[in-house]
Amino acid sequence: MTTIAQAGRKSTEPLRPEPATVLEVIQETPNIRTLRLAFDDPSVMEAFSFLPGQIGQLSVLGAGESTFAISSAPSGSGSFEFSIMKAGVVTGAIHELAAGDRTAVRAPMGCGFPTDEWKGKNIVLVAGGIGMAPLRSLLFHLLDNRGDYGELTLVYGARTPADLCYEAGRADWQQRSGLDFTATIDAACEGWDGCVGLVPNVLEERGPSPENSVAVTCGPPIMIRFTLQSLSKMGFREEQIYTTLERRMKCGIGICGRCNLGPKYVCTDGPVFSLQELRELPEEL
Amino acid sequence: MTKIIKNDNIARLLEQLAEDAEVWAPRELAGTGTAIFERWQNGVAVDLEHITSISAKDVVLPRTEKLFDFNYAFGDPVPGENIEIVAAVTAPATVLFGARACDAKALTVLDALFDNPESESYNDPNYQARRRALTVITLACTTADAACFCSSFGEGPAGKAGSDLILYPLEGGYLAEAVTARGESILDAATRFFEESNAEPPQLAETATVEGLDGLQQQLPAIFKDLDFWNEITATCISCGFCSHGCPTCYCFNIHDEMSGDRKGERLRSWDACMFYVYTQEASGHNPRPTQAHRYRNRINHKFSYYPVNQGETLCTGCGRCIRGCPTNLDIREVLRAAKARAVETELMADGGKAETDK
Repeated sequence: MTTIAQAGRKSTEPLRPEPATVLEVIQETPNIRTLRLAFDDPSVMEAFSFLPGQIGQLSVLGAGESTFAISSAPSGSGSFEFSIMKAGVVTGAIHELAAGDRTAVRAPMGCGFPTDEWKGKNIVLVAGGIGMAPLRSLLFHLLDNRGDYGELTLVYGARTPADLCYEAGRADWQQRSGLDFTATIDAACEGWDGCVGLVPNVLEERGPSPENSVAVTCGPPIMIRFTLQSLSKMGFREEQIYTTLERRMKCGIGICGRCNLGPKYVCTDGPVFSLQELRELPEEL
Repeated sequence: MTKIIKNDNIARLLEQLAEDAEVWAPRELAGTGTAIFERWQNGVAVDLEHITSISAKDVVLPRTEKLFDFNYAFGDPVPGENIEIVAAVTAPATVLFGARACDAKALTVLDALFDNPESESYNDPNYQARRRALTVITLACTTADAACFCSSFGEGPAGKAGSDLILYPLEGGYLAEAVTARGESILDAATRFFEESNAEPPQLAETATVEGLDGLQQQLPAIFKDLDFWNEITATCISCGFCSHGCPTCYCFNIHDEMSGDRKGERLRSWDACMFYVYTQEASGHNPRPTQAHRYRNRINHKFSYYPVNQGETLCTGCGRCIRGCPTNLDIREVLRAAKARAVETELMADGGKAETDK
């Protein structure tokens, strides 16, 4: 698969995407859709693999391309998914795609979560809004390899019930043994009898132990900021906390220059960073 | 190997070179006292007196270039039935004539990033094709203007890095010295324009140097958070981006699609500049570098700290184009001196604070 850039691998034409087809479109929320895709070339699809946390570039030829986290299970065969919030020109065009439409994809890119290093540990996932997308891929991986990890905790919040993604997944996660899953919304509303409260507060209420644990958080910057405070209060050290960063990206291969944090590039050295790594980089988030 | 070419033979040499290659050379923008590099055509006078306002980098990294063609997919009755992505790299033999040492040196800096099979870095097929088809004929500088400082970060006014052949101005002509086999082959193939010579190279230009910048790479982080400093420095900056576009080593780019007629389009890569607001603006509206201070801070850090960390070289050849072209007279040399002074001051204060605490 020489046309696709991958961290640590050279590519002869890393800016050239691979044709892919939309297999399914799932309307997650009023402004978030999940696209299930497959590369058109069966051998490319066959060879495609990625780590949870890795990213890809999805093109609507004519409109352009944008970077998204791959949100599906790494072990899923034959297809992969991006969950996309409508926000601009490219995402607007993506939201007009239907099953059968053709696109082009460059993936995977960047570094995923170090799930091998985490074997034997408890994992705490803290997600807000569209920030659930990369953590969903991670959660699938953890559930598919359940025996390798200890207790799993997931706190996933959104403003309203309608803003929560992955309805089928959430129903499944509620049933899973060894997974403490809480979906929460910001303020009480009719028809919602689940948890109400801001993500960091709910996280503190669930109170997962920092002992032999790692915490992973992704969401709006304000949520991340308060989640980090909560984690710190709960006793999590910086090296136990991971996040996946969002930046505007174009090339995805550490050249075009807009996603750097000091000498590191989010598209190739990230998007996954431990808080400890981030503390060593210039603060420019 | 050195030979002499007389002034009258320059145009004839270019004519011969143009038979087999695209020739790029500086042309004076009439009455402006400045020049630009462009495709040379028969009969056009070459300006070997004025330094060009914009560097020669677009010979290898064009302002806009095609990455590939595609047959349009979106919105077809049978959407994307004929989707097809066609790479489009072709590079004719090209001669860059009249580059300055700062331009030639910059090519070697860009090579480290775009054409470096030895490293794990990215190898760009478009850049590689153009670069490998390129012959560089450099004009050594016997004069310098107030903005030149190639002796600080570049190779100096007659540096050989990146050149195939160097021309030293003499009375009535130029002394030609081959640097590479490619340069020699030009001397060999165009014998009728070159004469054997034992002439000595002329006195070269003296360019200003920015002294005392050792350790800047390590010191810049000390003032990263000092937004007061960066605000002061960029008080007049209007984010026009000329410093990036004129620069021979700035390589940041954008990627975008353009449709051309029914169902056909192309994906293009264009020069971009870290001084533009939208460069880092995210779809959410959040911008990690919202002000000139943030953006210029990144520009200076990239050139003098981040790039040296990653590639071992400073991303500046002292050509002075960002100084000559800045509409608000921002002088990178003054910025570096000020940054150095501020960093030293900051470090002293930090040490002082530490000493206080230790008591």
